This record gives sequence, structure tokens and C-alpha cells, in this order.
Amino acid sequence: MLSRLVLRAAPAALRSLAPPVAVGVLHTTRPLHTTQQCLAPLPPLPEKGGEVRYGLIPEEFFQFLYPKTGVTGPYMLGTGLVLYLLSKEIYVVNHETVAAACILSIIIYGVKKYGSAVAAFADKLNEEKIAEASAVKDAAIKDLETAIEQEKKEQWRVEGRSYLFDAKRNNIAMLLETNYRERLLTVYNEVKKRLDYQVAMQNLKRQKEQDHMIQWVEKNVVQSITPQQQKESIAKCILDLKALSKSAQAAV
Amino acid sequence: MAGRRAAIKAIDWAAFAERVPPNQKAMFNALKTRSDALSARLATLPEKPPTIDWAYYKATVAKAGMVDEFQKKFSALQVPEPKDTQTAKIDAQEQEAAKSTAEYVQASKARIVQYEQQLQKLRNMIPFEQMTLEDLHEAFPETKLDKEKYPYWPHKPIADL
Repeated sequence: MLSRLVLRAAPAALRSLAPPVAVGVLHTTRPLHTTQQCLAPLPPLPEKGGEVRYGLIPEEFFQFLYPKTGVTGPYMLGTGLVLYLLSKEIYVVNHETVAAACILSIIIYGVKKYGSAVAAFADKLNEEKIAEASAVKDAAIKDLETAIEQEKKEQWRVEGRSYLFDAKRNNIAMLLETNYRERLLTVYNEVKKRLDYQVAMQNLKRQKEQDHMIQWVEKNVVQSITPQQQKESIAKCILDLKALSKSAQAAV
Repeated sequence: MAGRRAAIKAIDWAAFAERVPPNQKAMFNALKTRSDALSARLATLPEKPPTIDWAYYKATVAKAGMVDEFQKKFSALQVPEPKDTQTAKIDAQEQEAAKSTAEYVQASKARIVQYEQQLQKLRNMIPFEQMTLEDLHEAFPETKLDKEKYPYWPHKPIADL
């Protein structure tokens, strides 16, 4: 009996049960495999389970009885059933009843007090797992995107290879040109050197001849001055000096 | 090569430098310094050597006919251009490079296609909250436990736990 109640109170857990059983028992709004096509992926589970009164009896039962018996109908049914079971001793009150009452009250107290905390904790665990997986997925996506970008960049880089070969050819051309100009310059320098040499040789020779001649002339002149001539020239000089000094004195 | 001057193209070194990958920057710098040295050398040399003043020499040099002879031989002289042996090699290198580039670009494009496929798969994945374990194994085949290779729980080497 309790198992039937449990069945009624747990609609969400029936996803794993065989479909026909689930459909037969539940009054859910989620059609599971009722249509020809199966939704794939299955839509997410609803946030909350079906509405339940007193933690046991689903709301749909009350709604089902409402048109015929109004609001108090299910309660009367429940009370009548309980009284019938008790009075006819179909349910016998014994020590197990007391034990059940104590256990149930403790359970209900515990769930009411700590239920939400435990649920939050379990949700957190689940969320952590999902966050991990999502992090892995996001990292993978980012890596792939960077990889694609890198590849594109490398392709762009490779397009610039013409620069390299142009630079090399330029270098070659520059070398050749430099070489050619150097050759021209060498030719010019050599020819100029030779011509300058000739000119310099000529100048030198001429200068030497001049110097030699002058020297020779001087030597001869000095030689040709006899002692007689020297005395005469000195006397003449003295006379000249005297005359000069007289005129100078006169001028002063 | 016919023609005296192989045209020296202006190279955009800035654009060139942009395209050099970081692991080849040293080679690029070496090439650039070499090019710059060469162009500096080229710039210091005049295009034509200065002309020889024949009139002056004719007047000055006494030996008759020497200057005339020199002048005749000088103007008749043809300086041979240096031969270009390397450009053919460079062109061959360029062809090879073009080929290997084409291959590389193709491989790169194939890789990009692969990456794109994976990216699409990841982007179109259902959110983890709606996945079952089988869906997870479909999306990430490496999470599937190999029950043939490791028949006993935990179905993977203990070190991987």
C-alpha cells in the first residue's frame, strides 16, 4: 500500500521505467514517447515535481474529485477510509503503529528542517561537475579557434615569400653593379696614374736640369772673379758708400 | 643577363619584417644587415668615373703621341660586366618555395577544415544538463569506459582514476 503511495508521489522518477507503465499510472503533462517521433535530446526535466498535498497525495487527485464532491470531497473520502480501516480492524493498532508514528515524525522533522540545505549541497556538487565539463568544452573551443587563427596567420606569412627572393635578387644586382663600378674606377685610376707619372717625371727632370744649370753658372762666375777684380770691386764699393753717406748726411 | 643594370626593386622592409615568424627573426636581421651594407657600398661608388682631362695632358706631356695613344685605347676599352651566376639559382629556389608553399597551404587548409568541423561539433553539442551518459560518450568518445580491455571495475587503469 505504501508502495502504491510512493509510486504516486514520484512522477519525475518514472523516466527510467518502461514507458507503458509510466503512461498508465501518471497524470503528467510530459508526454513520454507517446508520439511517433521521440524528442532527441529529451527536453530537460522540470524544475519541480508535480504538486503534492501533505507530501503524499498529488494535487491531480483533488482536482479529479472536485467536480463531483467539491473541496471537502477527498478529505471526507480519506477520513471515511481511515475510520473504516480502524473500526473493522483491517488495520490493527499495535506496537508497530507507535514505532511507525515515532519514526515518521522524526523523519518529517528532519526533512523539513534540513531538506533544503541537503538539496542545495547536492545541487552544488552537480553544478561543479557540470562547470568542470563546461570549462573543458570552452577551453577546447577556444583552442580550436586560436589554432584556426594561427593557421590563417601562417598562410598570410607564407604569402610574403616574394619579399625574400626579391631581397636576394637585389643583393645580387647590387653586388654586380658595385663590381662593375669598381672595375671602371680601377681603369680610370690606372690610366690617370700613368699619365700623371709621365707629367711628374717631366717636371722633375726639368727642375733638375734648371737647378744644375744655375749651380754650374754660379760656380763658374765665382771662379772667374780674380783677386784683382775683387780688390777693384771692394774699392769701388767703399767709394760708393762714402758718396751715399755724404748724400745721406746732407738729406738728414 | 642582357642589359647593364638589373633593376633594383625597392623592398618594403617593414612589410617584410611583419611577415617573418619569430623563430626566423635572426636570419631576417642578418639578411637586412647584409643588404644594407651592400647598398651603402653601392652608394659610395659614383656611377661613372670622372673623365680624364685629355687636353691638359696633351699640352703637358712632352712625348709625342703618347697621350693620343692612351686616349685612343682608353675610349676603345670595354670593361666587361661581371657575370650573373646566381640569379638562376635564386629563381630555382623560388620555384621550389612556391611548390612547398602550395603544399603547406593545402595542408593548412585541410587542418582548418578539421578544426572547423570539431568546432561545429562542440558548438552544436547539447548542454550538459540534458545529457545522458550515452550522449556524453557520443560527444566525447574518450570518456567511454573500455569494458573489453578492462573487464573489471573501474574499467580503466587505476592510475587514471
